[in-house]
Amino acid sequence: MSFVDLEDIRVSYDGKNNILKNLNLSIEEGQLVSLLGPSGCGKTTTLRVIAGLIEPNDGQFKVEDKDLTKVPVHKRNFGMVFQSYALFPHLTIKDNVGFGLKLRKESKATIHTKVMEMLEVTGLADYADRYPKQLSGGQRQRVALARALVIEPKLLLLDEPLSNLDAKLRINMRLEIKKIQQRLGITSVFVTHDQEECFSISDKVAVMNQGVIEQFDSPEVIYNYPKTEFIARFIGFENFFDLTHIEDRTYVTSDGTQFITGRSWEPTKKVGTIRPEDIELIKDHDYPEDNTITGTVKVRTFLGKSYQYEVDTSLGKILVQDNSGVAYEAGDKVNLYIPEEKLILV
Amino acid sequence: MSKKTAYLILTPGIVLLLFFLMLPLVSIIWPTFYDGGLTFNSYLVFFQDSYNLAILFRTIKISLIVTIIGIGFGVPTAYYIANSPKKWRGLLMSLTLFPLLTNSVVRSFAWINILGRNGIINTALLSTGLISEPLTLLYTEFAIIMGSFYLFLPVMIISLVGTFENIDTEIMEAAETLGANRLAAFVKVILPLSIPGIIVGSILVFTGTLTAYTTPQLLGGNRNMMMSTFLYQNAMALGDWQSASVIALIMIVTTLLVMKGFNTVAAKLDKRGEKYA
Repeated sequence: MSFVDLEDIRVSYDGKNNILKNLNLSIEEGQLVSLLGPSGCGKTTTLRVIAGLIEPNDGQFKVEDKDLTKVPVHKRNFGMVFQSYALFPHLTIKDNVGFGLKLRKESKATIHTKVMEMLEVTGLADYADRYPKQLSGGQRQRVALARALVIEPKLLLLDEPLSNLDAKLRINMRLEIKKIQQRLGITSVFVTHDQEECFSISDKVAVMNQGVIEQFDSPEVIYNYPKTEFIARFIGFENFFDLTHIEDRTYVTSDGTQFITGRSWEPTKKVGTIRPEDIELIKDHDYPEDNTITGTVKVRTFLGKSYQYEVDTSLGKILVQDNSGVAYEAGDKVNLYIPEEKLILV
Repeated sequence: MSKKTAYLILTPGIVLLLFFLMLPLVSIIWPTFYDGGLTFNSYLVFFQDSYNLAILFRTIKISLIVTIIGIGFGVPTAYYIANSPKKWRGLLMSLTLFPLLTNSVVRSFAWINILGRNGIINTALLSTGLISEPLTLLYTEFAIIMGSFYLFLPVMIISLVGTFENIDTEIMEAAETLGANRLAAFVKVILPLSIPGIIVGSILVFTGTLTAYTTPQLLGGNRNMMMSTFLYQNAMALGDWQSASVIALIMIVTTLLVMKGFNTVAAKLDKRGEKYA
C-alpha cells in the first residue's frame, strides 16, 4: 500500500473501447509523479479518475488505503490546476483563490490571511483586486495554482498546466511548481506530453500508451533504459535495428555485424536502439570491428552545436548527431561506432 | 473609402428608417402633445384616472411575474439542454421551439380548453370530487399569466442555452474540485456567468408580454384589460385615436424604463473587470 493507489482501473465511454485498461499506479507520499504520453494515451483520463471527475467502470482508487472510488469530487479535497486554468471570470483574484475556503465556511479573517499568504507565495499580491481578464497567461497560471493549493489539498493534480505558456515562461513556471511542491511536501500528479518538462520536474514518471502504463520509473531510468520501443521512440531514440541473440551480451545483425552490449538483456528483447547523439562517427580505418557499421552520408543538417547526418547503412537509415566539429559531405563514407553501454535493447 | 461615399451608401438606409420607422412614430405621438400649442394635457388626463392606472400597473405586474417565472423555469431547462449530449440537444431545442411555429391565437385557444368552465382542469377536479363547483380560471389575471408564460418560455430558453453552452465546462469542474457540490457550483459560478443571457431573455419576455394582444384578449376578457387590449379598445371600439396614441407612448416609455432597469441590475451583478479592460 502506498499513499495513492490505483488498482485495475478500467474506463470506457461507449462500453466497447477501453480508454484505460487495468491501470495500476502507486504513488508515494510527497512525490511528484508525471503521466507522460502522446495525446489520446489516457493520461488526462487517469488524472480525471483521480480527481473524481470520471468514475471508472472497474477498479479502485485509494488514498491512504481508503477507497475513494465513489466519493464525489467536492468531497475529495484535491487541488486541481486545469489546462485552461478555469478561473472564475466574475470573481477577483482574491475571491478566486478564496473560493474553496469560503465553501469550507472559514471565518473572513482566516480566509483573508490564507489568501494573502498564498498570493504572496505565488507573487500575485499586487493583483489581488484584479479580475482574471486583466492578467497575463503566466499570472493566470499562478492564480490557478494558488487557488488549488490554498485549500491545503491531500493531492495536487496538474493537467498540462504549462502548455498555454511560451517556452521561456514554461521553464520558469515548472521550476516554480517544483519548488512550491517540495516546500509544501504535497503529493502531486502532473500530466504532460512534453518529455523534457516531465523529466525536469518529476520524482517518478509513468509513460502511458493506449490506456496502459508501459513504464513507471525515475526520469533517469526512463531516459537511459526505456523498456519498450514505443517509449524509446517517444523520448528521442531514433535508430532501431533487429538483433539476434548469440550468447550473453553478444548479438548479431542481419548483415553479420557483431554487437556487444554493456549488460545482459532479457532474451525477449530483440531490437537494438541508440540515440543519434550517442553514436560516434569515425572517418579513418582505425575503428573497432564489433559494434561498428559503415555507411554513406545522405543528408547533413546544421543544428547549431552539432551536425545531424542521415546515414545510409546496411541496417537502413541511421541518424547521427556529431559535435566533433568535422563537417562530412553528402556521399562521404563513414563508420558508425555504437558504444556498448549506449546500446539499449527493447 | 471616403466619407462622402460612406454617407452616400448609408443614404437609402437612413431614408428608409426615417420614412418607415420614425415618421409613423412621430405622426402618432406628435398629436398627443399638440393642441394649438405644446401641451401635456392628454397625459395628465390619463394619469388622473385610477381606471387607467390600474390597467398600467396590471400590465407591468403581469409582465414582471411572467418574466420571473420565465427565469425560474427557463434557467434549469436551458441548463439541462445545454449540458445534454449533442445528439439530444437538437431534438430538445426543436421541441422547445415547436410552440413558436404555431399561431399565437391557436395557442391561446388551447389554454381556453384547459382553463375553461368545462376545461380539462375543472373536469378533472370535479370528477375526483375535490371541488363541487367549477373554478373560475379563465378570464383572470392567472389565465393571462399562464398563457403568456407558455407563449414566451421558449424565447427565454433560447437566449439561455447559448449562454450556458459558452461557459467552459472546466469552470464547473474547478468549482467542484474546490469543494462545491453541483448546486453550489451552479449558484456561485454558472448563474453569475449566465446573467447576460438572463437579461436578454428577460427583456424579450417582458416586452413580449407587455405588448402581446391576443393572449390577454382571449384569456383575460374585458375585466382584466392590459395596455395592448386597452389601446385596441380605444382605437377600434371607441374610435378615440388620441387616447390610443397616449397609451402607445406610455407603453414604449415603460418598456424603455424597464430595459434600462434590467441593464442596471446586470451591470451590478456582472463585473468581470470590465471597468479596467
